[in-house]
Order: sequence, then C-alpha cells, then structure tokens
Amino acid sequence: MLLPKFDFHEPKTLNEACQILAAYGVKAKLIAGGTDLMVNMKKKILSPEQVISISRIGELKKLDTSGDSIRIGSCFTVADLSTSDAIQKHLSALGEGAKNLGTPLIRNLATIGGNLGSARPAADLPPALMAYGAQVVLNSLSGERTLSLDKFFMGPGFTAAKPDEILSEIQIPSLPPHSGAGYINIGVRKGQDCNLVNVASFIALDTDGTIRNARIVMGCVGPIPLRASSAEKMLIGQKPESALFSRAGAAASLDSTPIDDFRGTAAYKRDMVGVLTRRTLDIAFREATHRQ
Amino acid sequence: MKKLIQLTINDQHYEVAVEPNQTLVDLLRYQLGLTGTKKGCEMGDCGSCTVILDGKAVNSCLVLALQADGRSIQTIEGLETGEGLHPVQEAFVEKGAIQCGFCSSGMILSAKNLLDQKSNPSETEIRRALAGNLCRCTGYQKIIEAVKSVPQAN
Amino acid sequence: MSEYTVINSRAVRVDTPDKATGKAVFIDDMTMPGMLYGALLQSPLAHARIVSIDTSKARNLPGVKSVVTAAEAGLVKYGVSPARYDETLFCHEKVRYVGDDIAAVAAVDMETALKAVSLIDVVYEELPAVFTIEEAMKAGAPVLHDNYPGNICAEVHSEFGNVEEALADCDLIKTTTFQNKRQDAAFIEPQGCIASYDLSGNLTLYSSTQVPHYVQRTVAMVLKLPVGKVRVIKPYVGAGFGIKASANPLELSACLLSMKTGKPVKMNYNREQVFQYGRARHQFTHTMTTGVKKDGTIMALKHLCYLDGGAYSSFGIATVYYAGSLLGGPYKLPNMKYDGYRIYNNKPACGAMRGHGGVAARACWEQQLDMIAEELKISPIELRLKNMMVAGDVTCNDLNMSSLGMKECIEAVKDGSEWTAKKGKLPKGKGIGMACGFFVSGAGYPIYRSDTFHGTVIVKLTEDGGTALVYTASAEIGQGSDTTFAMIAAEALGIRLEDVRLESGDTDFGVDLGAYSSRQTLMTGHAVKEAAEDARRQVLEVLAKELNVPVENMDIKNSLIEFKQENVDFTGLRTRYSKEHRGWNDNPADGPLTFREASRMAYLSKGSIVGTGKYKPPELGGKYKGATVGTSPAYGCSAQIAEVTVDEETGQITVDRITDAHDCGLAINVTSVEGQMEGSVSMGLGEALFEEVKFDNKGHVINADLAEYKIPTMLDMPQIKTIIVESNEPNGPFGAKEVGEGAIMPTIPAILNAVYDAIGVRIHELPMTPERVYLAIQEAKKGKTS
Repeated sequence: MLLPKFDFHEPKTLNEACQILAAYGVKAKLIAGGTDLMVNMKKKILSPEQVISISRIGELKKLDTSGDSIRIGSCFTVADLSTSDAIQKHLSALGEGAKNLGTPLIRNLATIGGNLGSARPAADLPPALMAYGAQVVLNSLSGERTLSLDKFFMGPGFTAAKPDEILSEIQIPSLPPHSGAGYINIGVRKGQDCNLVNVASFIALDTDGTIRNARIVMGCVGPIPLRASSAEKMLIGQKPESALFSRAGAAASLDSTPIDDFRGTAAYKRDMVGVLTRRTLDIAFREATHRQ
Repeated sequence: MKKLIQLTINDQHYEVAVEPNQTLVDLLRYQLGLTGTKKGCEMGDCGSCTVILDGKAVNSCLVLALQADGRSIQTIEGLETGEGLHPVQEAFVEKGAIQCGFCSSGMILSAKNLLDQKSNPSETEIRRALAGNLCRCTGYQKIIEAVKSVPQAN
Repeated sequence: MSEYTVINSRAVRVDTPDKATGKAVFIDDMTMPGMLYGALLQSPLAHARIVSIDTSKARNLPGVKSVVTAAEAGLVKYGVSPARYDETLFCHEKVRYVGDDIAAVAAVDMETALKAVSLIDVVYEELPAVFTIEEAMKAGAPVLHDNYPGNICAEVHSEFGNVEEALADCDLIKTTTFQNKRQDAAFIEPQGCIASYDLSGNLTLYSSTQVPHYVQRTVAMVLKLPVGKVRVIKPYVGAGFGIKASANPLELSACLLSMKTGKPVKMNYNREQVFQYGRARHQFTHTMTTGVKKDGTIMALKHLCYLDGGAYSSFGIATVYYAGSLLGGPYKLPNMKYDGYRIYNNKPACGAMRGHGGVAARACWEQQLDMIAEELKISPIELRLKNMMVAGDVTCNDLNMSSLGMKECIEAVKDGSEWTAKKGKLPKGKGIGMACGFFVSGAGYPIYRSDTFHGTVIVKLTEDGGTALVYTASAEIGQGSDTTFAMIAAEALGIRLEDVRLESGDTDFGVDLGAYSSRQTLMTGHAVKEAAEDARRQVLEVLAKELNVPVENMDIKNSLIEFKQENVDFTGLRTRYSKEHRGWNDNPADGPLTFREASRMAYLSKGSIVGTGKYKPPELGGKYKGATVGTSPAYGCSAQIAEVTVDEETGQITVDRITDAHDCGLAINVTSVEGQMEGSVSMGLGEALFEEVKFDNKGHVINADLAEYKIPTMLDMPQIKTIIVESNEPNGPFGAKEVGEGAIMPTIPAILNAVYDAIGVRIHELPMTPERVYLAIQEAKKGKTS
C-alpha cells in the first residue's frame, strides 16, 4: 500500500512549525503520532503536498500540574496519559478515555492533540475533556488564542482551528472540591474497538450535597460531541441518587442525535446513551464524595 | 527526493537514504532486508508490524521512515542473544505459542516490551498489553502461558 | 506414560524457532533477481457488461513490461470443483462482483504497476445487480451465469428414511430458523505469490497456499501448460483456514505475466483485496424441524437451507452438500430430509472455511436440541448421551463412525467445568451451556474425480547414515503438520526426532491434496508412516543378512539397533564402518549398534535407501447423489461448555470460560492438538459474537479492514481449558485423526445455549452483537407484558 508523495518538514520549535504552516496553509497537514493521518493517506482520503511533523517539539510534550489549571502539551502521548499518576488523580475520566483508546501500540504513538484535531465523532478523549471544561490553545504566526473545547469541534474531521493554526496545549481549569467525573465507552468487542457510544459525565457537589454543576458529553451520537443539556439542567440543585441519574439518562437519550449506520442503529445508540449516562454519573458521584 | 537518515537498529548503526512517503516497515523489510517484521494490514489494526521504537512498542506501518531519524529501533532480529533465543522467544517456542508464526514477531516484541516495564504481569495486564496484536491461530491461550512463564529477575 | 517414543508427546515444533526469530520466510519476504511487481485491475462495479478495454496507455507507461487481459489469458474455465468451473482468469464479457479481475500489469516497481492499472480504460455498461438471495431468486432477476437460471448455483434434495411418516409419530416437533453471517477468515498473512517462468519453459510458482497440488493442476489447465512443467512451492504460510485452498487470480495472473516477460513476478493482495476476494464462510439460513419421542429419542430431521453464494461457485457445491450431510451424526438419526440451495448474487464468492458447511448447521441444531431438552424436562447432556452413536455405527447417510469418543468428551467437559454445580444455579445474567459437534478427517474423495493417491511420501536416508529426509508435498500452514509428520517418521523408523529432516509443500515431492478438510494428519500421516516403515524394513533386511539375525529379532529405537536375542556380534560391521570412514573422528567406538551405522551399511549394500508411502481411502459412502460429500475414513468429535456473563442493559456478552474436549484419536503432538482446539474456539467465538462482512448497496465491502471486521482480541478471549480424548481411530496412523475443524463445531451453540441460560432469551441470528442481544431482551420483555 503506497502513500501519496509529499514533502516532509520536521521543525524543532513551535515557532518554526507555525512559519512552515503559514507558508503552505491548506496544502499542508500536521503529523504527530500519525495514527489518523497515515491511515487516511493510505486510504487516499487525504493527499497533502506537505506534511509537517511536530512530534519532536519538546515544548509540546509537557504535562504541568503546578498551576491553577492542568496544562497538557498537544503532543503528550495517549499512552503517557493512561499511565500518568497526575492524570489518574486529577482527571480520572480522561485517564479512562486514554486507557480505552485504540490499542497499546496505537497509544504509544497517538497524541492528545491528534485525538482532538482529527475531530472523529467517536473519539475517546473529547467527551471527558469537554466534561472537565477544557480549553485548547491555538498558535499561529499572528499569535495565540484560547478556545473552549465546546466551540472547537465543527463537524466530522473539522475543527475551528484555522489552516495556519497549531493546537499546542490543552488546559483544564482546576477542579472544584467534591467533584468527580466518569467515562464509559462501548463498542462490539472489548479490545481495539471503534466506539458505538461513549459518554463522559462530570458533577460538582455543593456543601449540602446537592449537585451544583453538571456536564454530560456524548460522543458518537452527533457530528460532534454533544452536551446533554436537558439532562444537565435536570440535575442542578438535586440530591444525587440512582433514580435521578436514571431520569438524567433518559433525558440525555433525547438530547442525542444518533444515526443509523453500519455499526449500529440510532435506536440502540440512543438507549445506550441513557445507560452510559446513568453509569458515568454513578462513577462521577462516587469520585465526588471521595475528593476533598 | 530522498533524504539521508541515521538510525540504530538492533544496536547497529545505519545510514540510509529514504523517500518522505516511505514507511518504517517498508524501510526495514525491503531496503534493509530485515524481513522478520511483517505486514498484515498496513493500517495499524493487526500489530504484525510491531517494532520497539525508543523503548515503546509501535506499529511500524504507521511510522514514516523519516520519523525514525536519530532514533533507536529493536526488531525481532535483535532479540536473540549470542547464546541463543531471548527468554521471551524461548518461552513462545516451549509453550507452543506459535502456530503459523505471522503474528509472532509483533507478539513477541509487545510481550518483551511489557516485561521490560512490568515484571510478573497478571493475566489481565498481559491481555491488555497485547490487545493490539491479533492472532487468528492460537486463541491467545498459549501466548499468555508463554508470557507468564518467562523467568523474571526479582 | 505413553507407549510411544516420539509421538504422543509435547515435542517442540520443528518450525517455531525460526518463526520466533523472524527467520522463517513467508512469500513477501522473498525476492528474486530481476523481479517485477504485478497489480490487478479489479471491477469497481458489482454487475456490468464490459464494452471495451483499452490497455494502450498502460502499455506505453515507462517501466511497464506486460499488460494482460482475457485476450492474452484465454478463456479456459476453472473453479474448485469440475462440476462447477464457472470462472475465467479475467472477465471478458462481464463483471459479476466488485473486485472481479479484469486485467493485470507487471512493472519494474509497485508504483508504476499501480499507475499503469489506473491507465487501463474500461468502458462498462452497468447492469442491475442483486445482492440478496431474495433479490437473486425473484422472477426476472438479472442472471449472473447464463447456464444457471434463477441464479441457482446448486441444489440438493435428499431423503433418508421417511421423514413425514416419522414426524407423524413424534411426541414433540420443534421448528427453528437460524442465520449466521458471511465471515472472513482474517488470517494475518494476505495471499501473495511469486511466479517464475524460465527459459526452458518451466514455471515455478511460490505461493501462500494450502494446496500446492490443486494450484499446480489449475495453473497448468488454465494457462495450457503440461503439468510436468509446473512446479508449485509454498514457503511458510500465515494460515489459510480454507480460503487459500484453491488457485486464485493472483497466482494465475503472476504466472501469465511471468510467461509473458520471462521475469519473476511478485503479486500480493492488500488487506482490502483479501476481503473483496472473499471465498470464506457463506451466510446460511437454516430452517430445521426436528421430531422426537417424549423420552427424548430423536426420530427425524427436516432441513431446508439457503446459502448466499456470491458471484462464483468456489467450493460452494461441496458446501451445500456438507450443510446437510454433517447432521447425520453424531446422534442416531434414522430419518433425515435435506433441501439445500446455493444462490448466486453480485457479491464476492463464498467458499470453504474451517468447518465448511457444518458450522452454522450445527449451531442451529444444537440450540434446537437444547430447546427440545428443556421442553421435555431432560438435561441437555442426558438428551445427547441418550441418542449418541457409538464407534462402528453408520449414519442414515452412510457415514461410518469408525471411532467416536463423543461420550468421553461430554463427560470430560461436564467434569472439567463443574457443570453440575453451576447448571440451573447461576444468578440471572450468568449462564452455562453445552454443545457437541464432529467433522470429517479428510474428505473421502479428491475434489476432481480421480484414482490418485491422496498423499505420497518419500523417506530417504542420508548416505553417510544417521538422518532420515522426509519429502512430502503436504502444506504446513501453521497447524503443525511438518512436525507431526517428522514425529510420525521418527516413530515409525525408530529414530530420534532430531535425526529427521523434513521438507514439504513442493509439488516436485509427490502428490498431496493439501491442507483442507482436516485430512493431513490421517492421510498424509499414513503415507509418512508407510514410507518410514519401508525405509526401516530395507535397513533391517540388510542388517539381517550381514549379521545373520532374523528381522523379527531386531528393532530400531532412539536411533539405536536393539536385538531381541543374545550375543549378536556386530564388531565386524563396526570395524568396516570405521575403516571406510577413515579420517572422521566421530565414529562410535563402543555401545549399541547405531542407526547411523546400520543405514550406512544398508546404503553400501543397496544404494540410496528410499522408502515410499502412499494413502488412498477405501471406497466410502452410499450410492446416492452427493454421497461422497461427508464421507471420510474417520471423524473427529468435540464437546464444549461455555460460561457467559450478559450485561442485560447493554447486551454485551462476556465469555468467561470455555471447556473443550476433543477426540483426535491419538494426539501425535499434544501441544499442537491443544493449539488447534484453542484456535478453533477463538474463531467460533468471533463468529458467534462479532464477525460479519458488511456491504453497501453497491456491493462494496464496507468493513474491509481488521478494525471494522472484528475478530477476537486478547481482551475478548477467555481462558480455554482443553481436554484431549483418545479413542484410537482404527483408520488413522497410530490411531490419529483430525482436530482442526471438528473443534470449531460446538463453540457457537455452546455460547448460544449459555446466553439463553443467562437471560432466558433465544437468539437465532449471528453475530450476537450487543445490539442484537439487547433487542432480543427488549422483544422478550414486550412479549411478557403484552
């Protein structure tokens, strides 16, 4: 299987990368782990004339938990996310997404930035990141801007990043006390599966134990990861308990917009949104009660 | 246009000219004669192209040869010691964990990579670590027995 | 403690050290001087008339050495069974499925070859296509093959006994319909080959094949070469499971291109092409009506089956017979009626895949038997044991169970899985189920009508003594046949395994029908044993003369000569051996007379010692139409118990454990037998839970990759406990018979029955994806509340 012909660039700094990208614009594609781009090039879905590798840029690989927000470089690998103690401690739902992404071999190459930038509706990292209220930092020659992940995804394969912008960092604001999150994905088999439905839930509890804040993000059931808004509204001010979570699940089902495709029917996906919402709310609640 | 790259494969230094659109697996197999790494799908689904790149097991069909510049790679050919089979290879042979052999190079390297990072892994840890290496012959049963049987330094 | 010296042990396989180190050579590892690269032009349309083909631009592309179409290839029809030769190498009038082969190109590199393929201009006139059995059989439907109206590729109608009469006398009659889906073998190594035509007109084809013999015959026939000028050699093969058991367009194209260019030509399928080529398991729709007495005695089976065949026959004519005939056993069944239809349509052809036509049929029937057992309030095990045949019984369709360790298998899995403690006592959501199955140990007849031996073997002793060379044209495809034959040869000769060197898979070595229908251990094994015994006899006869000791008083064991009488003085022989080995310093000085010395003596007396062996089964089977399909000199059998957990909210099934007992007659290599059992279970599990080849409405395979076509990964497979049962098959070498396909038969129904046990819902369609299970649960709930 042959790849299309292209020129290859391997900038050493983010600035250098921005310069090269500015020169070629839409004729160029960024490559980090390559697990998405390489497959698309082999399938002849993409044939960029220029390929710019950012995988050697050290500043893009850092994980910084020292400040108010957790900052993850876009080239931090999914494998490192899945084994990082800091991620497990602070962003367990993200860790769960990372553990379930692809295969161990893919995880050693794949990056958090790539999983966001490729904007696949079934991707494993966006739901948890959105549930945590993450933002992305986009760099270009003209400067840097920060964008909420809620506004980043535009459609399957499309993001709000401009052709000359590089996703350099993901920032997650520090989490309030008594908050927790959960992530579950289901497919057909247990290993190496493309998700049929995935859901991440985040809740933050008030001092009286009621739900102060909730974010429920559903993947695979729309062109982009969707917030289950009516489910979230239903939870605010309520005391967390099983029946409430079930009702939230039913509401989330109605918030979802799955389609029939060769992987499964819309009806099944809708029902699974309900089940996974309830289950991830359970996980989030358990974590919230344990977190100081 | 080809570019000259330097890389270390199985502790041996190589200098080779490669095309930008050449994959690492094709470089290994067709240019360097290291045919032990196999191609089963070329899409990163089967794991038969697994090599260890800077200490991490990866699908070499998804890595560009240029991305391997300056890096260190271990292929199946690099496992044998001067005295014979590597303990992981020995275990696979002893326990009957190889039938057609096409997945074996990748499977053995993934297993070795796991054992390099974790000694005495549980069955669950073995299954998780090798989930990216597909085998259609063995049902994985004897592969797990083989990995469990590799003598581990305490 | 085995009574044997070499066989019936866990000897390390002869090929696995090379496979563990990356030294084992598979087809794509090979390269030859001056080698060209070939690529195929395959149809993008499911059904179309070819109006014109213009290859001029392709031919003129620099680096292109040959472009061939039907004009160069000719129109010799081929296929698998001579009764259904319905393919030509290249399409000439029309294409019948997406992927049908139209032309091939050989060029200096792959990039040029692919570019040339894209420059071949084909004008198509698209024709309406049919993609389902229903569409294909409708009145007025487009016909794929003119001589098969109604798109009926093959139909079978057989009756043994009188089914309607028997049913009228039954206390309980149950009818169920069951459907599996088209599968793919998903062997990890795609097909590939290198063809090399030399200046003397000899064609050598290296190919990843299971059947060098059939490929050789097909190449010679299609390309109009004398068979004696065609040699097929297989390197190591990354499995086949039946899909590589016939000649493919890749092989034929490469041969033709090599003939045209005079250069070696290499061709491969990429993974997508493997899916598009197909030739794997059919989709079967079974409707079975079984009648029993209230004490559980099985009286009659009425069986209707439709096979979704795809565009060509491949193995299909055998498949449609197997789907019916393999239900004749292992239970006593006096009345059986079978009507089977294989239907053409514009999808890739289906062929033979591990277990052939028996797998879906067995799944349907074993689940139905459980339903019957439940209604009669008899345990599923009791029902089966009650009706079980015993060794020596013959089925209603004339299949002879010369050995049948089925009862032992059932008891072994019952004890091995704690069935009694668990059955009926597991919490909701957890279940345990069992099933049985059996399969032929080699088809009773070759695919083409012939008096040929099914396998011939040569054992040659090296002239300086000490090593036995075994030459067999059989195919090691991962199942361990090379090692099995080396062990049989060593055992039969009386020498150590390390004193055997075996070469296989080369048509120059003899005739061997290859690795399909689970034939090699029994059939080629017989020929190996005979050849080794022949060589042994020749050596002992020379020794008898030299030492004046009767042959009966001598034996060879562990590469040493044993005498059953006292005071045999062989010092003369030893002295002679040392003298004419002057200069060598590894001559035995004392100790027993060695095989090395004895075989050297035999050579000095007779010249090269060559033993030959051959095997052909006796006349088998009845006199009715299709009687040959299902006949075999022996049958392997298996019982399995599956334990599952079902998440009722999502429909996800986890198989927690499989206990598997298989009667292989005698295990030549114990580890290999277990390996085949475990592999069979994983393939059955995949078909039960995940696997399905999916098409869009234009006949393209949607999931033509190993991400969307889901075979079990390590995370999906449970622990498999294997128990070997040895019934000592009288027709098998040392009592051995098959394991490779009988072992897949019980897996799907064991899981089906376990799922029912867990959730109280019967599922009659595969795969049991979470969605299908979830829907079945919802339907059942609705049924209960309405």
